[in-house]
Amino acid sequence: MKSSTPPHKSSILPPNNENRIAKNPFEEFKTFTASGPDLPLDQIVQSTEAVMDRIRCGYEKLLEEEAKELVWMVQYNTIIKAYEVAEKYVKEISYTAEDIEDFCFALENTQRIPYLIPGPAGIYLSALCNYTNEEEIVLKLSELKTEINLVGFRLPKGKRLMIEGDTGDFTGIGLEGGELVIDGNSKNWTGAGMRGGKILIKKNIGLHTGEWMMGGEIYVGGRVRGLGNIVEGKVYEREKLLYPGKVRYPNVYY
Amino acid sequence: MGKNGYQKQAMGIYRFISEHLYFNRPDMVIKGECFNSAILLSLLTGLKKGKELIIGEPGLGKTTSAEYVCSLIYQFPLGVIWGSEVSGHPEQTEEKIIGRPDLGKLNRGEEDVVWTNFSQIPVKIVDEINRLPETKQSMILDGVDRGNWEYLNEMIINEEYCLFATANYQDGGTNTIIAPLVDRFDVMVESRHPGANLSFLVGKDKRKDHILRHPKYEKDLYHVLKSKVAYEKKTPKIEEVCNAYGEYLDEATGIKSFQKQDRDQIRTEMERLEFDLDASAFTRMLLAELSFCEWYGQKRIVENCEEGCHYTGYLCRQIKNCASNRLPSSIKQYAQGLAWLLEDAEIDIEHISAVVPYALGHRIQWKDEVLSQKERSKRDDPIPIFLAKEAVKAVSQRYREQSEHLKDALAAGSKIFLGGDLEPLEGDHPIYVEVKKDIGARRS
Amino acid sequence: MQSIIEEIWPKLRKKHLYPEIPMPRVRETPEQEKSESEEDEDVGLEMKQKQLTINGAFVSQMKEKMPEKRVIEALLDHGITHYTFCPWDFHTHLRLYAAAKKVVGDKDLAKQVSNHFIDVIADTHCVKKRFTEIPELHRNLRKGDVEEVIASLYQEIWGMDLGIAPSKMGVKGRADIVRRLARIPYLDRSRWGESIQKFARTLKPLLIQEQKEQGAQGGKGERNPQGEHDLNHYSSEEIDQGLRDYARQTMTLSEFKDVVEDFSDELSGAGYGMEGGMGRGQGNPVDADVLFYMKLAENYSIPVKKFPLEEKGSLHPYSHCPWEIGAPYQDVDVWTSFGKIMPGITQTWTKREGKGRGKIEGTPDCLIVVDSSGSMINPRKSLSYAVLGAACATNAYLHNNSKVAVYNFSDAPMGGKDILNYTDRREDIYRVLCKYFGGGTALDLEDLMPFIQGKRKLDLFIITDMKITNLEALIGFFGQIQNRVTAVHIGDNPYAARFEKAVERKKNISIYTVKRTEDIPHIVLGKIRDYFNPTHTKKS
Repeated sequence: MKSSTPPHKSSILPPNNENRIAKNPFEEFKTFTASGPDLPLDQIVQSTEAVMDRIRCGYEKLLEEEAKELVWMVQYNTIIKAYEVAEKYVKEISYTAEDIEDFCFALENTQRIPYLIPGPAGIYLSALCNYTNEEEIVLKLSELKTEINLVGFRLPKGKRLMIEGDTGDFTGIGLEGGELVIDGNSKNWTGAGMRGGKILIKKNIGLHTGEWMMGGEIYVGGRVRGLGNIVEGKVYEREKLLYPGKVRYPNVYY
Repeated sequence: MGKNGYQKQAMGIYRFISEHLYFNRPDMVIKGECFNSAILLSLLTGLKKGKELIIGEPGLGKTTSAEYVCSLIYQFPLGVIWGSEVSGHPEQTEEKIIGRPDLGKLNRGEEDVVWTNFSQIPVKIVDEINRLPETKQSMILDGVDRGNWEYLNEMIINEEYCLFATANYQDGGTNTIIAPLVDRFDVMVESRHPGANLSFLVGKDKRKDHILRHPKYEKDLYHVLKSKVAYEKKTPKIEEVCNAYGEYLDEATGIKSFQKQDRDQIRTEMERLEFDLDASAFTRMLLAELSFCEWYGQKRIVENCEEGCHYTGYLCRQIKNCASNRLPSSIKQYAQGLAWLLEDAEIDIEHISAVVPYALGHRIQWKDEVLSQKERSKRDDPIPIFLAKEAVKAVSQRYREQSEHLKDALAAGSKIFLGGDLEPLEGDHPIYVEVKKDIGARRS
Repeated sequence: MQSIIEEIWPKLRKKHLYPEIPMPRVRETPEQEKSESEEDEDVGLEMKQKQLTINGAFVSQMKEKMPEKRVIEALLDHGITHYTFCPWDFHTHLRLYAAAKKVVGDKDLAKQVSNHFIDVIADTHCVKKRFTEIPELHRNLRKGDVEEVIASLYQEIWGMDLGIAPSKMGVKGRADIVRRLARIPYLDRSRWGESIQKFARTLKPLLIQEQKEQGAQGGKGERNPQGEHDLNHYSSEEIDQGLRDYARQTMTLSEFKDVVEDFSDELSGAGYGMEGGMGRGQGNPVDADVLFYMKLAENYSIPVKKFPLEEKGSLHPYSHCPWEIGAPYQDVDVWTSFGKIMPGITQTWTKREGKGRGKIEGTPDCLIVVDSSGSMINPRKSLSYAVLGAACATNAYLHNNSKVAVYNFSDAPMGGKDILNYTDRREDIYRVLCKYFGGGTALDLEDLMPFIQGKRKLDLFIITDMKITNLEALIGFFGQIQNRVTAVHIGDNPYAARFEKAVERKKNISIYTVKRTEDIPHIVLGKIRDYFNPTHTKKS
């Protein structure tokens, strides 16, 4: 007769579930929640960084499309095309004048932006200036080591762009009625092809000033090294009317 | 935490030693209180069953400080402690350290062991351990690790024990204590010169350590220790004599020492103390810097750092070896002891920062360029402890900058570990990589 | 007030995660001086080598607007944060100053900019990370123009009202300044370099204007109520370490020199001179070029191979080990074995060679031959690897208590040389190393003989680009001597290749190439190359 008592159970207990689960090495931090206020500074910095990233991205795409192998030639059609591409990216971003200024300095920091090519950089910068909401833009660029070319390209009417520092070649070319003030020196081809508006250069200016200028005025507080072929418009040197004036020929050296 | 006066007793012992027996200058400040590191750490070693390495110039009280602490915590008369010490010289043998055959029985063809006092009493003091050959150092450290002493296939097990080893600085008569052995010490501390004025007092005043001697109880203890009775049966008798000695101490000096149950209770109380979140995060951060290597997976002494490593600014770049798992254990033990002594409810960063240099100094091998830069720095500590203190300062600074973010990262790690759908937080410190590795291992 | 400090100090320490700073003190102005010195009330906190001192007069003056306890807490929060976060060390301070100076160009302006920047970071860190009374303190402080702008900045970035009305900022484009300043990531340490430059750019016009106004009024300028930031914050060791780190970080002599010269008065005031070659102690004014190489060389460690101890003793019993069956029994220790020969009981002696009275292990003296001809870089204009390498070698030998002699040559036969006899004075050695002739390149081997003759053991360390006109003579010279020679050539060229080929069989000459600073730690001074079998000795 079989015993009715159940078989003797092994004294070794089956492993319970707790033994199977690995120990959580972060157990004591389970209930931790970060305290402490989030300052407005955090949001300001975060949004500034986000905007800068987008601006930077736009610039890199411009280089990708227009500066193949990082070579870019200044020609009428390349300028127009580059500007169109720049416009395309710039229109999508919401930014302020300070963002533009930060971008200029970021251009010199190769860790943040690997390539500074003065032509496309200037075109991009001009597009940024032209599409910003502010009517008056002040960029403090006197500590920039590089002189950016093509600043103020197609600055529209109603916009005032003031640059503290020196600019490179082709400053204010194609100006379309806006006011461009350079609190420093400018180089060659300033105001070339401008249609209207005002350029004020507080110090000296280079050669080919006002080349194919169609209208508007250029005021130079310092010396003018040479004039270009001016179609229409005025050029002043230290409040003295230089063109139309006695000098009719291009590139006269003083 | 319940207050039952044990802390006051312990501080009473500390003060008694500091004021009457071992003249010293305070060299640490914790929670606004000044302590001498040698006495404090010895006290904690005695209470926590730790292993301490005491270094210093000859004649500066390395051995005597340990003897006083042991006498007062474990209630052993000084004479017994003297008789139980092992002195380090190359001719030490296992028979002199652990036990020898009973010669009478041996001649009759029977095996029986006569255990040395050193192996029987809970207090183990080894003088000039670095003069012992490596095999003997290893033998002692193995024994103290587990509390087991074996000879001729017989074994005794110490229920409680602590080790104090002294070492002079390296000279022609010493061996190096090799890294695997020195790693077994919980802490290393220097017994310093007390300054000209206190040193003069040592010479001028009559020695007071006779207070800790008691010929009768010493004789009784010797009698018990050498009796041919099983060790388990000796233990209660030893305790009885020790308790009587403890009462004598109370009458003679006003110092209440600890009986075995007191010590057990103290240890239980200490074990209950936990790290607060900052202390935990800080310790993890420190351990990460001492073990991490982005290039090779972990620090190894045989592998050199690569140029241009992202983690150049961290401790991993400055050290050669990897921190062992004994380090966090030592940190916890001594931090618990310290927090308990100061009657704090939990272990905080200050406890950790105070203890870590002593737990770390002997375990880390610094690169040559670090040594050559820092060796000539103005300091009060010997170079290993000084470098460890500098390391702790640097990590503290890094911790202060990112404490909240790090705790956040650890909290996120916990949630992910428990199955939460989160991404681990990023950060520029090895600890964040370690968190990711732990989570990754869990996920796989 | 001291009791207030004692009451709040444990809480503050805990809040700041236990910095190693002693209990602050209070400086009470004696009654008779109170009426005399109003200036004393302007500064609330002094910081000198981690000792914070609260100005009792300042706190009393603030009492009407803010309880003493809160004033003290705010000041201490600020002071502690300078030690725990920004600038934390002298190196950071220098770095910030140098970055500011690049923008403003003027020493005083740069100091002001860096002081303001450091304060903004410290206060913002406190407000973000810890509960603090700093905003309340700013609300109640007296403010000049710049301080108002800073307070307005705080309003913007902390989101708190500090009592600066928006209309005030509308004046003179200050809203513009505040808007620009608010965009700077003050709490991102990794970007402090560029942040301070932006800070400087933005604040520069205001600071210049303030400077002009103060100059016109003949005043010294407002003092910072939260304490000035000068070299008193740091101990000599911290200054030492800071200079070392800064030299290593810039690696540019001109930048280092610029900053050190700007701080030369403060360094001298802090007792930091050139005496003893350690950069410590009053004495000669700081020579920034020499200091640069000194500090930079401290970052690199070159090992020196010492002459080994000669073991001249015979074997002697040293320690015991258990005897095993089958092992020889002539070394059995009968006493320790209790007269028994049986496994488990018997012990044998292990023996060791004694160290007899041979030559003591040590490092010999060193003659450093450094090339300062025209083909080498002028160490006082740019970083010269030659001088840096020689400096590192100097440190290595001096560190081992040896002496160093220097032979700095250009066109030696024509007098283009400088000689320094064996010495352990670091400063003198460095001065000779940093000398630059810039002429032709010719060694006069006769000059070297007095250094070598009479010296039993001497190491030679020569660092040059090997474009030496009498290179063959040099090769011949090295062929004859048995001294350990470490030859370091800068860059690769045919002359260096020629030299290498000529001496490749000489075991006592080791050649290293240095093209960048990272190559310097790989130089092992005094290395003797062993061919095949390290114990093989050549019988001459």
